[in-house]
Amino acid sequence: MIQSLDPRVTRAQIELNNPIDPLTELDQWETYEVFHQKKRGDQHIHVGIVHAANPEMALLFAKEQYARRGVSVNIWVVKTAQVYSSDYADSDIFETVPEKVYREAGGYKVMEKINKYKKAQAVK
Amino acid sequence: MYGNAYIDPNENPVSSGKGPSILEGEDPVLLAEFEARIQRGEKIEPKDWMPREYRKQLIRMIEQHAHSEIIGALPEGTWITRAPGFKRKLALMAKVQDEVGHAQLLYSAAETLGKSREDMINDLITGKSKYSNVFNYPAYTWADACIIAWLIDAGAIINQVANAKGSYGPYCRALDRICTEESFHLKYGHDNVVTLATGTPVQRKMVQEALNRWWPPIMHFFGPSDKISSHTEILMRWKVKMASNDDMRQQFLNMYVPKIWDLGLTVPDTNLRKNEETTDPDWDEFKRVINGGGPCNAERLAVRRDAEERGRWVRNALKAGSAKYVVPLA
Amino acid sequence: MESAKELFFKMADDLLIFGHRNSEWTGLGPILEEDIAFSSMAQDKIGHAQAIYQILHEMGEADSDALAFNRPSSAFRNCQFVELPNGEYDFSMVRHFLFDHADQQRFEMLATSAFEPIAKVARKIKGEIKYHVFHADTWLVKLSQANEESKARMQSALNEAWNYALGIFEEGDFESDLRSKGIFEGEAALKARWMDKISPIIEKAGLRIPDESTWNPVLGGRKGYHSDHLDPLVLEMGEVFRLDPGAEW
Repeated sequence: MIQSLDPRVTRAQIELNNPIDPLTELDQWETYEVFHQKKRGDQHIHVGIVHAANPEMALLFAKEQYARRGVSVNIWVVKTAQVYSSDYADSDIFETVPEKVYREAGGYKVMEKINKYKKAQAVK
Repeated sequence: MYGNAYIDPNENPVSSGKGPSILEGEDPVLLAEFEARIQRGEKIEPKDWMPREYRKQLIRMIEQHAHSEIIGALPEGTWITRAPGFKRKLALMAKVQDEVGHAQLLYSAAETLGKSREDMINDLITGKSKYSNVFNYPAYTWADACIIAWLIDAGAIINQVANAKGSYGPYCRALDRICTEESFHLKYGHDNVVTLATGTPVQRKMVQEALNRWWPPIMHFFGPSDKISSHTEILMRWKVKMASNDDMRQQFLNMYVPKIWDLGLTVPDTNLRKNEETTDPDWDEFKRVINGGGPCNAERLAVRRDAEERGRWVRNALKAGSAKYVVPLA
Repeated sequence: MESAKELFFKMADDLLIFGHRNSEWTGLGPILEEDIAFSSMAQDKIGHAQAIYQILHEMGEADSDALAFNRPSSAFRNCQFVELPNGEYDFSMVRHFLFDHADQQRFEMLATSAFEPIAKVARKIKGEIKYHVFHADTWLVKLSQANEESKARMQSALNEAWNYALGIFEEGDFESDLRSKGIFEGEAALKARWMDKISPIIEKAGLRIPDESTWNPVLGGRKGYHSDHLDPLVLEMGEVFRLDPGAEW
């Protein structure tokens, strides 16, 4: 039995050469992705994962692992297995050609026309 | 708290030989793209293509760091039931809790590289994986816990701040969160040591003795001088290894030795006092401890095995039949 | 205000000893995530104890550190339930469930107390206790419904804990005084509220409360009579503090 400096360890009566079977698959349960909202009006932001046996516990765990400091109003947990994501190898799909000014606010410049029109009106 | 990015001195030098052998068989185009991305200062994300050696070294490093956190909860945990007064009792609980939290974050980061938490814990409790050597030393008195909180965490911050600028996204994100919490640890530890050093003669003696005990392990904390090899060069180019062990040790000495002297405490290295040069740490002792010969190696692992074993019925009971393990996304 | 002091001592002592016991799991819990959650709750309890010792200090007692770390175990007024060793996670979880529901009901009653300082504390810590109960209920129900082993473990932990839990409601000498002054409605009222809260959850969990004929509350804690477990706990908790109680730690 271990006689430890830590009284908790001594009380637990642990053998120094305690054998153990390896942890098996899913011993640590599934993972959930955690989304955290600091205050009302903010977006939920992905902050990490927790291992949990069910969504209720995932929420309990997420609250303490990701929101035990600072301010928070809400948390979401989503099973990692249920997230469908794009592939980094395909990140060139986001590289859309710059000519698409027709859907940008900056693609519309009317002042020139207005000024020209006003000038023409003034001449009349 | 405790990153320690040294290359294990026992590690089979399969991959530490000539540079090219590490990269053997890697697709040159993908490799060039990968290196260019790192060169541009972009992060590597989990599903990206990466060289085998990059993945292997990162798993080793992050896993070792995670183990250090969970084992690191034990020496300070030695005093969790005896912390004197509400302020210390609550703060020590919160600090040890943070270490457990850091382990959780780091295991999660390592998981994204494809090693399950079960496999990592198995490698820890069977002694296959290493963790920071420093936690194989005992915390004899309350003051030992205070010295750990101040100086070991200070060392860890130097290491972690460097590593947070590395190339692997999930590790950097975990370290950013960890470093924020470490600043509480450092303040907490310093406050404790200052209180003891400026307290009663009994307290002063206690803290000086603890410092004397912890000095050699602290000097070992950053690991032996790096061997300048092509392997190290590659790891630095890939931003896996961010600072040399000697540089980090020196940075620690520059920052903290004056603060120790401020308190009228002494460091046991007399060379440091006289010449402002350190005596080279005893690396034979380091190797002995990392190979299991330290005062607490066996106890630390036995305690971890016991905790895993006692929790097993809980984890087993709640394991859902429908559960399916998926590598975390980020 | 002897009546209020008696109430506050037993509450603070309960919370300190309970939080201390639960803190022993820190770093040794069944899984990392739960280790973190359980530690938070232990911290909360010890924080709540401190707040109540602070009220006692303002009523003329020693400061909170001296009350917690430098009294003999015989001076403690906690129920014996909280001083029992943690055992395995089944017992810790059942105790957490039974104690925290009583704690929540007690503070809910005190939130409208005529004694403003305790009412203020009660309102301030409401959210923390709500999480504790949320955590306890989830765990109790999930573990009790999981597999044969866990169900059997939870039932036998409940059987083992039950009479100790009834000891939470051991009456003091000033029940009617507290009631008439509007400070606290009393242990009997608290126990009734507690039964109303826990019964449906225990039923949902598929567990059985031990047959009423076997009920035999473990009393004495409120009068300073304790099990053999409290004295070593108190000595350990104050070991460093008492090296020099006058020193700042």
